[in-house]
Amino acid sequence: MADAALTVRPRRPRGQSRREAWAHRLFVTPSVLTLLILGLYPLLFIIAAALSESTLGKPFQSWVGADTLAAVLGDADTVAAFLRTVVYALGVSLASLVLGVVVALALQSAVRGGSLVRTLVLLPMFMPPVVVGTLWKLVYNSGGGLLATVVGFFGGDRQAVAPLSSTSWAMPAIGLADVWEWTPLVALLVFTALVAQDHEIVEAARLDGAHGFRLFWSVTLPSIAGVLAAAFFIRLVLAFKVFDLVFMMTSGGPGQATTTSSYEIYQAVFREFDVGKAAAITLVLAVIVTIVTIPVALITRRLQANHE
Amino acid sequence: MSSATLAPASPASTTAPPAPASHGRRRRLQHRSVIATILLAVLLLFFLLPILYLFSVSLMGQNETGQGVLVSPNPQWTNWSDVLTQSNLLLSILNSLIAAIGGALITLLFALPAAWAIVRYRTGGSTLSATIMSPWLLPPIVAVVPLFTLLRIAGLNNTLLGLTVLYGLMNIPVGIWLLEGFMRKLPRELDEAAKLDGAGAFRVLVSIVTPLVAPAVVAIGIIVAILNYNEFLLATFIAPGKDTQTLPVLLSLFYGERTPHYGKIAAASIIGVIPVYAAAVLGQRWLVGGLTSGAVK
Repeated sequence: MADAALTVRPRRPRGQSRREAWAHRLFVTPSVLTLLILGLYPLLFIIAAALSESTLGKPFQSWVGADTLAAVLGDADTVAAFLRTVVYALGVSLASLVLGVVVALALQSAVRGGSLVRTLVLLPMFMPPVVVGTLWKLVYNSGGGLLATVVGFFGGDRQAVAPLSSTSWAMPAIGLADVWEWTPLVALLVFTALVAQDHEIVEAARLDGAHGFRLFWSVTLPSIAGVLAAAFFIRLVLAFKVFDLVFMMTSGGPGQATTTSSYEIYQAVFREFDVGKAAAITLVLAVIVTIVTIPVALITRRLQANHE
Repeated sequence: MSSATLAPASPASTTAPPAPASHGRRRRLQHRSVIATILLAVLLLFFLLPILYLFSVSLMGQNETGQGVLVSPNPQWTNWSDVLTQSNLLLSILNSLIAAIGGALITLLFALPAAWAIVRYRTGGSTLSATIMSPWLLPPIVAVVPLFTLLRIAGLNNTLLGLTVLYGLMNIPVGIWLLEGFMRKLPRELDEAAKLDGAGAFRVLVSIVTPLVAPAVVAIGIIVAILNYNEFLLATFIAPGKDTQTLPVLLSLFYGERTPHYGKIAAASIIGVIPVYAAAVLGQRWLVGGLTSGAVK
């Protein structure tokens, strides 16, 4: 799409009046103002708060320079939370992508994959994350939740199933709830791309003897690569935002096992009232999110351009 | 169609699985689609079983949850009536609906002209759209304290109006991003003809563009409203008061009680989800197009 616009040249048509151009600027003005209020202002606020002594009641008391940032980066717990957040976001996004592709392929080739089935598959993503957290907390309920009951049914020890109180299983358990919630979005995007595929190319490849995995790998996959990258990007951004699930399911515990950076910022602000520390963590998190997501965004743009 | 007639020649379909092939009609089906159907059924179970379990828990008594009971032999519908009458559930759902729908209307009002100017006239150059989108990339916790401070100064703290306006502005980037996909598909001739007939920029937007993208506007309105309805983090900090709290805020408080009653929590959750699911099912025709417009080009 960008290519088409470039060939016509980005210049406005010569006959267009000055008044028109002003009208168009007026059209974007509210959005640009919003960008300043919801984007630039919080950024400046956070930079100022990170560099000063700030509490929730009284921000910007005295200038401390980079001391808070240094303290945050030197704190083993905070660094561990950053690492946990990145591993979680990448893991959950990858799992959603793979499962989403499987769902989309199943929807495409199943005997019954009508619009009712498609709507049913989408239900998890419309559920409020707070309810998703509640729901999975009930599923994981130690001793007698859905998971424990199923394990008990297959002869396992029902009482031993308590993923949310285990330091090694709590984070994957939250991850599963997250994958459950957002895989439908990935599946929908991939499914739409599969339907929009050029059927003549698929038929031609089939006549040439390509089928099954080989057909998928060499014909289908390249044609939906742009959408896959875009879906992964969206999923990654959503995974970095995880807060509600941690809040509802574990409150960051047991110990620090599920304290993601978002949750740590929340704790710093509303338990310690230390806005300076929260702002410093926020700044580092913003840098990390940017570093991780930008390459994915660039790959997405490139694959989509190739496709056109 | 042609794939079905060609398929018997391919080696993959010659080994039909014996079990599901017992039916006469089924024998003709491809091996691949039988596997896909079974796989889809398993996946559907994965996505739906937890929701059904939530419903089942909503009918359990205090002593049944956590005891390995899957379906209560003695369903307690009183859980449902109790949360409806003895808690703020209905008020919180109403608050959520007001903030969600009001916010969606504000978003559409601002995103529609912006998306149009960006797509057709490249106002702001090639980077404006990406720049407007950039705050969406960061976790919202990042902005909680500054926005809290701003709303306190504006006197909109702990009001539904403040939350509604915030939701409306917050989703403008998403609105623009999703609308762009639809607007690019509009043929140039339409609005250029209107312009030759003397219609101004505003007139073109209102009388030509908006009716043409109406299905997209409905879809994006529903999507944004659902995002707002489900939002928890900002709502809990900006409007935590009893009269203004939204559904997710109310639900988050249920666990804080001394002896949380899981049956009632589940009942309240199910009741709270009904409006979203109703919107999703009724609007599914438009929703699918809206959800995919940003990423599938």
